[in-house]
Amino acid sequence: MGVFVFIVWGIEYLDIPLDRLFGMFGRMGSTLANRYYPPDIEYIIDADYFQYVIETVQMAYLGALFGLALTLPLGWFGAYNVTPSRRFVYPVARFATMGFRAVHEMIWAILFVSILGFGMLAGVLALTFFCAGFAGKLLAEEIEAIDMGPVEAMKATGANLFQVVIWGVYPQIRVAFTGIGIYTWDVAFRAATVVGFFGAGGMGWYLKRNVQQIETERVAAILLSIVALVIVSEIVSAWARARVMKMK
Amino acid sequence: MPILEVRNLIAKYSARGPEILKSVSFDVEDDDFFAIIGPSGAGKSTLIRCINRLVEPVSGEIFFEGQDVTKLNSRELRSLRRDIGMIFQEFNLIDRMSVMDNVLSGRLGYTGTIRSIFRAFKKTDIQHALALLDRVGLIDHVDKRADELSGGQRQRVGIARALMQDPKLLLLDEPTSALDPKISREVMALILEMARELKVPCLCNIHDVNLAMEFCNKIIGLQDGVKMFDGPTEDMNEERLNEIYAMEVL
Ligand SMILES: Nc1ncnc2c1ncn2[C@@H]1O[C@H](COP(=O)(O)OP(=O)(O)OP(=O)(O)O)[C@@H](O)[C@H]1O
Ligand SMILES: [Mg+2]
Repeated sequence: MGVFVFIVWGIEYLDIPLDRLFGMFGRMGSTLANRYYPPDIEYIIDADYFQYVIETVQMAYLGALFGLALTLPLGWFGAYNVTPSRRFVYPVARFATMGFRAVHEMIWAILFVSILGFGMLAGVLALTFFCAGFAGKLLAEEIEAIDMGPVEAMKATGANLFQVVIWGVYPQIRVAFTGIGIYTWDVAFRAATVVGFFGAGGMGWYLKRNVQQIETERVAAILLSIVALVIVSEIVSAWARARVMKMK
Repeated sequence: MPILEVRNLIAKYSARGPEILKSVSFDVEDDDFFAIIGPSGAGKSTLIRCINRLVEPVSGEIFFEGQDVTKLNSRELRSLRRDIGMIFQEFNLIDRMSVMDNVLSGRLGYTGTIRSIFRAFKKTDIQHALALLDRVGLIDHVDKRADELSGGQRQRVGIARALMQDPKLLLLDEPTSALDPKISREVMALILEMARELKVPCLCNIHDVNLAMEFCNKIIGLQDGVKMFDGPTEDMNEERLNEIYAMEVL
């Protein structure tokens, strides 16, 4: 009941024209049919475009890789139970992770393009920060859920901080970390297809150019290619995930 | 000189929390198999964990071979921990690793960081590990994963890991409480035998008084953080036991 009242109040307050809202789907259909159909497939079967696709994959790969590399210290330092120092290192790591997450990947892209100029490097860095943000949080949470018994046992043998992490912590999160890695790849790839919109490399640039020139049939073709690529990437990661499950 | 001297030890888990140990003192001699008994929550685990500073004591002194444990910096602390083996109630093995790797992990304090990442232990360490695994009766299980073993077998791995350290003292926190009575007895007997053989003194939390009376030569009784009894096993009697466990009966 309360929810219903809230919705009605919200609609009143925002002055949403309901008839247009419901009519939207019909019009969306007709717009798609008129302007975006048929997609200009020939436009994307092109060596130049293919180059950009490759660049997109490279960017996603590097971004995910660097992001995950950053994730390791972020996760370790930002996990309350194993952080080297609860008073200093922990808050810094948590704050950094939060900062990476708080800023949208597109904003990172815009930021790096304006600092570094157009090109792939800006895209890779934007993706790196983006990946480090959410994977760092996931990893820290995973580490906070481990059994502390083996960690104490390793401390008790006289192992140093690093050895305790390698022996006491890592074996317990290895599988989860691989899962996070795969997920990071998924997300990085999807983001990589659009960061180019702001000039940060990859096929997003193609998208932008054609949107601006109102080449709607080409845009449709590009969108289709993105969907296809994402599906392929999802299939690959589903396969990888199944392998990881067996690893347990 | 006793290998371990504990003086007026006070421990808390939070600055404003209650004192878990209320000025506990005792000595462990070179040939002791020392039992700490007391009801659940008395502070037995806390006491044992203060010795290698898994719990930081609030005040008091702990002398190990004449050196005050409470004053060590982190490097000295690591080398102290290397000299003190620990065996846990829940075994605390690394489940996803092999029995062999678990035993070798007892050697981490002696192994460089880079070597330990690649599990490149010295040949002598590997031979030592195999000898210990043979001694605790697990030589046929060397390559199994630790989580494939039974409870008794897992604790035997725990024993081998602690002995890998060439410890000068063994801390045992209810090493057999997770095992059934028959296996408990076997494991206690094995620990006692090996401790005698290697001349390692032991400090052992035991919940089960009968086990303590059977295996240990000295006993401390703790009740609610206070030492109620300290003496040779022969001096322990029904009346004193009732006093120590009085709280639990209520
Ligand atoms: N990590 C902790 N944080 C806060 N309080 C704790 C912690 N560990 C133990 N305590 C408290 O300290 C007291 C003593 O606990 P301790 O584990 O030393 O008792 P114990 O004699 O080993 O009992 P048991 O036989 O159940 O193992 C208990 O009241 C317990 O609630
Ligand atoms: Mg206990």
